[in-house]
Amino acid sequence: MSFFKKDKKELQQQQTDPNENSGPQTELISLDVINNVNEIQNIFSKTPDLVVTNLVIKQTNAKAALVYLGELTDSTVVSEHVLRPLLFHIDDFNEDSTLKVSVTQIKEVNTWSKVTDEILKGKSVLFMDGSQVAFLLDTGKWPERSIEDTPIESSIYGEHIGFTESGSTNIALIRKHIKNQRLKINDYSIGERGKTKVSLLYLDDVANPDLIKELENRLQKVKVDSITNCIILEEYIEDNPYSPFPQLLVTERTDFATLEILAGRIVIVVDGAPNVLVAPSTFFSFFKSIDDYTSRWLVASFIRLLRYIGFFTAIFLPATYIAIIAFHFEVIPLKLLMSIGVSRERVPFPPFIEALIMEIALEMLREAGIRLPAKIGQTIGIVGGIVIGQAAVQAGIVSNIMVIVVAITAVASFIIPNYQMGASIRLIRFPMMIMASLFGFVGLSVGLMTLLIHLIELKSLGVSYTSPVSPLRIQDWKDLFIRFPQWSITKRPVSSLAIQLRRADSIRPKEDKQ
Amino acid sequence: MMNVQGKQISIVQYILLIHGVQVGVGVLTLPRDVAEKAGTDGWIGIIIGWFIATITSLIIIQIMKKYPNGTILDLLKHYFGKWAAKVGGGILAVYFGLLALYSFITEAMFIQAWVLPRVSIFLLLILLSIPSYLLVRNNIQIIGRYSVVVFLMTIWILVLYVYSFKEGQILNLLPLLKEGWQPVVKTLKISIIIYVGFDIAFYLYPFLEKKENASIGVVIANTITMIAYLIITLGAFVVFSPDEITKFNEPTITVLKVIELTFIERLEIVVFAFYIFVMSTKVLPLMFVSVFSTSWIFGKVDHSKPLFWFLVISVIYVLLFPPSVRMDLILAKEIHRISYLFSYVFPICLWGYVLIHGLMKRRSLN
Repeated sequence: MSFFKKDKKELQQQQTDPNENSGPQTELISLDVINNVNEIQNIFSKTPDLVVTNLVIKQTNAKAALVYLGELTDSTVVSEHVLRPLLFHIDDFNEDSTLKVSVTQIKEVNTWSKVTDEILKGKSVLFMDGSQVAFLLDTGKWPERSIEDTPIESSIYGEHIGFTESGSTNIALIRKHIKNQRLKINDYSIGERGKTKVSLLYLDDVANPDLIKELENRLQKVKVDSITNCIILEEYIEDNPYSPFPQLLVTERTDFATLEILAGRIVIVVDGAPNVLVAPSTFFSFFKSIDDYTSRWLVASFIRLLRYIGFFTAIFLPATYIAIIAFHFEVIPLKLLMSIGVSRERVPFPPFIEALIMEIALEMLREAGIRLPAKIGQTIGIVGGIVIGQAAVQAGIVSNIMVIVVAITAVASFIIPNYQMGASIRLIRFPMMIMASLFGFVGLSVGLMTLLIHLIELKSLGVSYTSPVSPLRIQDWKDLFIRFPQWSITKRPVSSLAIQLRRADSIRPKEDKQ
Repeated sequence: MMNVQGKQISIVQYILLIHGVQVGVGVLTLPRDVAEKAGTDGWIGIIIGWFIATITSLIIIQIMKKYPNGTILDLLKHYFGKWAAKVGGGILAVYFGLLALYSFITEAMFIQAWVLPRVSIFLLLILLSIPSYLLVRNNIQIIGRYSVVVFLMTIWILVLYVYSFKEGQILNLLPLLKEGWQPVVKTLKISIIIYVGFDIAFYLYPFLEKKENASIGVVIANTITMIAYLIITLGAFVVFSPDEITKFNEPTITVLKVIELTFIERLEIVVFAFYIFVMSTKVLPLMFVSVFSTSWIFGKVDHSKPLFWFLVISVIYVLLFPPSVRMDLILAKEIHRISYLFSYVFPICLWGYVLIHGLMKRRSLN
């Protein structure tokens, strides 16, 4: 303990204020261009990409300096729309002192801290001799990826546009679906060094203002160097950080995020993350996929039920196998017992060890498949399928039945549409296996009981996680285990705590009833 | 007065909490217990017991209406003063604690007898303590939600008993009242005990969202319990012959042996795994009420410390005095005797006092 404490003290001593060198915070910029250039070069020492261009503005014959970071700005915009008009152009009609440049946004600032911040965000700063303000010209251009299909949450009929790493593009993608001035955006800057832009998107006449306030409070309490991803932010703002379950939904689908906003929830867009967070989320929203809404409702309901079966299978199948083999072999029919007995004849391990070997091997294969480049990834499939499956059985390390159990478990855990939830489920399976190997069915019951209790007491942004099953709200069940036809769902889910529950009247034309 | 903000329970949670506390370990031996007294007419006693239990529960609601913003403890304080309330609260805490402890240990004994003969009760109790601690440290709302989920999760067991009717002989039930009313009246001793648990309404009432539903809720809870008991008892009566039934220790489980499925043999073991949930909805609310009263006496809001000690003491008790079937029977008899007092006599006396107190007050005002 004392060791850690000492470490902490040292850390505190070494820490510097990240914003210390950004210049005298509140000090105003000087009237003299040379002084200003010196000051800015002082702040940005050892910054080779800082470009300082001294020039004389033709219109007013004033000395000026344009300062920007080379890699963050669009050089065409700077040369064509800033430098060219300033150097050569004379406006004979308007001889006032406004800046004659053709960029989309011009802001005037007068403190050094503002200037520093904005240069780092890709703006160009123009200092003019004799002027008390500096002009911020919007010339920023970040290196970014184009909009592509969604790599993780793929869909059949859903749209093939995923979020990208740019926060403003992501907001635009959501606005494309909701063309309504009621869609409000609250911006925050999080991180002492990263100053990541985090935006909350919600419909202000639908989303619950208390939830927005609560989320706002949590965001403002986050003290961190930089937020580089949604899921990092999630760890800072979720309700129970020790729970194995994700409490905020992460999605990279714009249509899915839109549906959640329309249901009265809040979407958190983090600049630089290719996905967004949805708050509050319930346990059941992790089992929804956009294809539930793009396929026929009977098919969608069937697939959704499959997912819940998959949930229980993935958690309990290996554990049940262990419990039956180790404790309750009298439960299964005699013929099945015989064939299990034959296949386990050569296996020297107790069922728990047997299951553990296979499950660990499978988890390693899965992880290797993700980490490897796609071209080598196929090799892993062959290694896994043939070597681990077939050869391990022939060598007598595991039984045939065990291979089947592991395979079904794997498939079951992969049909959960949300990767995070699937990963949690795969993790919970291990404690269940231990419980089953110690106490058989009773261990399973106690395990399920603990799981249930945990889910019941868990909350997402103060809303109970297992709503609408617990607390029971039957009116929300229209889009839960079975998805009713779209036009019959006229209410928003109660679990979003929306202040306006009625959706736009969705009435199906009935002229075909003749 | 107490703060119930964020802890309110809905009417469904209220009904199923009471129902959950009523149905527990007793149901496993119920068909045998009533058959010993009245043969196959025992099920009539269950209906009469329902009637008595419902009347008593309605009396409890009447008492609580006099002081709607507090539990029984606050009501005692209101009528008898601070110290009397503390003593009364202590007695109630001990009573519910004993009830919880008895159910807890019996639960472990049934598990040992049916599923895990090789594991000691001490170990089982430690295992069961984990979910118990996780749930009971929360407020009543979370416990109510748990009861609702468990009810939905285990309701299919009743369908199995209905299914088992097919295998039985309805003639076993006839003739009705073959030996007159005498044996049926004898079963009342058992059949009012199996409804014990409605007295938890003393604690639930202030948390109920819509208090005007309290009376109807408690009637529904008793009725659900009665229907469940009737299905199970009748199922056992038609499957076993009248003489055979008293030979089984837990006919409620044994009766499931007659159901044969192609993919599962020994269905009763699988069902028993779910019975653990049913039993937990009896033990856990009782445990909650006990530790809630304890922390009330000491004027604390948080009850996780008394809960922790309750569980530790239970485990140590089992370690020091390993329970046996004989001891369990003696304990059951004593617990039943105390239960008559607390669940039936105490509410009626308290109601009488409250009524007289009200009359006196009105007279003195006049």
